[in-house]
Amino acid sequence: MDFALLHDAFWGLTFDGLALGAIYALISLGYTLVYGVLRLINFAHSEVFMIGTFSALVASGIMGVKVEDDPRTGWNMIFTLLICLVAAMLASGITAVLVEIVAYRRLRQRGATKLATLISAIGVSISLVELFRIITDSLPREFPRIMDKTFLFSYAGADIRNDKVIVIIAAGLMMFALERFISKSRYGKGIRAVSMDENTATLMGVNINKVITVTFLAGGLMAGAAAFFYILVYENTSFKVGFFLGISAFTAAVLGGIGNLKGALFGGFVLGILETYTSAVFGTAWKAVISFLILVLVLLIKPTGLFGESIQQARV
Amino acid sequence: MADKKNRYNIRDHAATYWENSPKWRRVSMSIAFIAFFYALPFLNNPLVNTPGSDFQSVLFYPVGMYVLMAIGLNIVVGKSGLLDLGYVAFFAIGAYTMAILGTHTALNFWEILPIGIALSMVAGVLLGTPTLRLRGDYLAIVTLGFGEIVRIVAVNIEAIGGPRGIAGIPTPPDLFKAKFTILDPKPYYWVLLTFTLLVIWMVRRMAARRPGRAWDAIRQDDDVAQLMGVNTLKYKVWAFVLGAAVAGAGGVLYASQILSIVPDQFNLNVSILILACVVFGGIGNLWGVILGAALLAFTPERIRFLSQPRILVFGIALVVMMNLRPDGILPKKKREHFDPNWKSVEESGEGEIK
Amino acid sequence: MSEKLLELKNITMKFGGVTALSEVNLHVSKGEIAALIGPNGAGKTTVFNVVTGVYKPTSGEVNFVGQSVVGKKRYQVTKMGIARTFQNIRLFGESTALENVVTGADVHSKSGVVGAIFGTPRSRREEAAALERGMELLEFMGLKHRAGQLGKNLPYGDQRRLEIARALATNPQLLLLDEPAAGFNPAEKVALAATIRKIRDAGYTVLLIEHDMSLIMDISDRVAVLDFGQKIADDVPKVVQNDPRVIEAYLGAPADAS
Ligand SMILES: Nc1ncnc2c1ncn2[C@@H]1O[C@H](COP(=O)(O)OP(=O)(O)OP(=O)(O)O)[C@@H](O)[C@H]1O
Ligand SMILES: [Mg+2]
Repeated sequence: MDFALLHDAFWGLTFDGLALGAIYALISLGYTLVYGVLRLINFAHSEVFMIGTFSALVASGIMGVKVEDDPRTGWNMIFTLLICLVAAMLASGITAVLVEIVAYRRLRQRGATKLATLISAIGVSISLVELFRIITDSLPREFPRIMDKTFLFSYAGADIRNDKVIVIIAAGLMMFALERFISKSRYGKGIRAVSMDENTATLMGVNINKVITVTFLAGGLMAGAAAFFYILVYENTSFKVGFFLGISAFTAAVLGGIGNLKGALFGGFVLGILETYTSAVFGTAWKAVISFLILVLVLLIKPTGLFGESIQQARV
Repeated sequence: MADKKNRYNIRDHAATYWENSPKWRRVSMSIAFIAFFYALPFLNNPLVNTPGSDFQSVLFYPVGMYVLMAIGLNIVVGKSGLLDLGYVAFFAIGAYTMAILGTHTALNFWEILPIGIALSMVAGVLLGTPTLRLRGDYLAIVTLGFGEIVRIVAVNIEAIGGPRGIAGIPTPPDLFKAKFTILDPKPYYWVLLTFTLLVIWMVRRMAARRPGRAWDAIRQDDDVAQLMGVNTLKYKVWAFVLGAAVAGAGGVLYASQILSIVPDQFNLNVSILILACVVFGGIGNLWGVILGAALLAFTPERIRFLSQPRILVFGIALVVMMNLRPDGILPKKKREHFDPNWKSVEESGEGEIK
Repeated sequence: MSEKLLELKNITMKFGGVTALSEVNLHVSKGEIAALIGPNGAGKTTVFNVVTGVYKPTSGEVNFVGQSVVGKKRYQVTKMGIARTFQNIRLFGESTALENVVTGADVHSKSGVVGAIFGTPRSRREEAAALERGMELLEFMGLKHRAGQLGKNLPYGDQRRLEIARALATNPQLLLLDEPAAGFNPAEKVALAATIRKIRDAGYTVLLIEHDMSLIMDISDRVAVLDFGQKIADDVPKVVQNDPRVIEAYLGAPADAS
């Protein structure tokens, strides 16, 4: 245990935690949105994220970026980054929609049990992981450095790095856009109506299938953005990347109160910071264990999360 | 309803035959059935020959082990409808108990077995009590995490071998005339079969009595079960713990046969494979689960090209099964009795209540 | 009147912005058939949910034979002696009729998993007793011939009756029936009324939610009326029937089909 490190590098760790938390928050939106409309955890969401990271990787390859190259500059850099971001978002968005069709749709229409649906989703998840394990030969992949990483300034001993600043700001913008979408657009209203009461929503003429597709799409786009930011900051990925990020992001969603968008944002940041602190103290090898313990503790102490679930009590 | 009554159905037929058989016939049929499975290692048939490893080894692991674990997981998933995605954790706890105590103490397999089972059960209580209060899908994700956490903890603790695991695990002492050696998997198979028969017997007893009814109620409608007086948390924890006990026993036996274990053997894929066995065979139906596990464990050994991408195949199988045949190859089906005079207890006589 | 079995004091139940019950006082005396009526959405089912521990009231007390039930687990409430049926039938559809009832009868057994595995004498005794009790109740409700059939395959009326049998199996002091006659034809309603009387005569106390006025007037000793979450009347049927507030509540609300 190393409390000295936590003490000395406190602000630096906090900043790193915020960047990680922004990524968690983006992923956890997918869990929260889907939970809102389906009352189910989307087990394949972690793989939606994983596929986003690989798509960003492929896109960078197509753009001619190589690991040994110098970072790009100016418009060239911005353009390349944007292409990778869009590629990740598209791939994740499409994957999420496909996941819904393959794993959920038919079962929902048949009125299958929750257990059957969860099993179906876990089947999709495991198949995707295995597919990518086979494709990548179980090896991790490195992401080339597109953008030169520089320290913008120092604050209280913390070095503020540009890529992480970008991640935090961009994630904030994405979530703002999503929030607008949910509260203002026609589909957003549909999502809220279905989250509140599916039967009433159907009676009011909401097309449930369309709403669910849009929900998965929105969650997938956010996970894709998270995937791009993840790979930008950490510069590697592997077929396993979804598993632990998925559990952490889910923990973030539960921490904030699942089904609650603001909660996801807040939960993401809190968890990101908490994880960074605790891995400084206990070592990164224990990071997964610690996030898991946090999840169990949250469920034990306040299962409805800090902001409460935005879900009605079950009716009997 | 009439067509239902008259439809020809092999299973109903067999069940009726069984119910109408006199005791001596039931007993002799059971004995023949059990004897067949004890004699199975001597079966020498090109149909069942496995190219990679010899049939007797395959019979112990994966086939027998998967069957045992699938029966255990079925208590959790099938009977009470709880999705446990970290079942491998309890298997690992059993195996590590055998490995640690076997290499550090003078205790032998038979002495370690109850300890391994007890530790798995304790882990089940510790994990189950907080999480089983929550909605079902929370349990799924928590157990999913737990399965990996146990593995990571094993990797991170040098005292138990870290990523290299533990080698030199002792084999069980001789039992009657049977010698437990690395060369001969038969005695292990017989022990495993004995465990399995015991578990089947216990599960069947429970299913027909109060716990079975409580689990049925919980699975079908948790809220109503509570309102009908079922202490749902208690029975869920029991299901979870009994499942853990079975996996723990399997783990102890497995470790004593394989002689050395490493954490990576106990990864998420094992949990998913066992789940696939349960789902494939028919969630909740004991015989279906046994058949499903035997098939899923044996086929990749028999058909070589299936063994590399087997997780992928099983993952897809889960999705396809859930979409097309969610009840499995041998679906659970309650036999209905339409005979107006059917009764399962002595008649009480008058239509009054006390 | 005689001793109060159940007593609700100033019960308020809010769901977010919706106030389903506000300051409701209500009691049920031992040995009576009490009725709870009111237009759709008045809060009748919510009363049941509060009493059986499904919801924790926002404020107020619920006492049952002198003990508070607020904060008790649902199964504990059942053990204390309150059992109920559901407005939308909620049987265990994949279990047989007999198993449905025996599940209720299990409440008072002491043996559990360990007893079942080892087949202890107590477990055997309790199993036999629960099965016998189950058969008895099926017979009482006229369902003996259905014992071996799955809950989901029973005809509608039998499903409603099976719910009553299952609730009775828990040996309640107070039986809560949520619209037990919904969907029944007149002949079935008459038979049900007779059954409810028989249940009362066997020593149970009944609180009944019902929309059918003639049934209510026929069998209940006392009628409480809810409207928009408030109790607007509580008296013998004759008086309630002529209460102008009750008439207004019913005329003001759309007529009810069931
Ligand atoms: N879990 C809940 N969440 C939100 N609102 C609820 C909930 N349960 C009940 N309500 C609301 O409380 C009010 C009373 O409902 P309740 O079911 O008690 O009515 P009721 O008198 O039983 O009506 P009915 O005759 O239709 O059965 C209704 O407005 C209902 O929408
Ligand atoms: Mg009602």
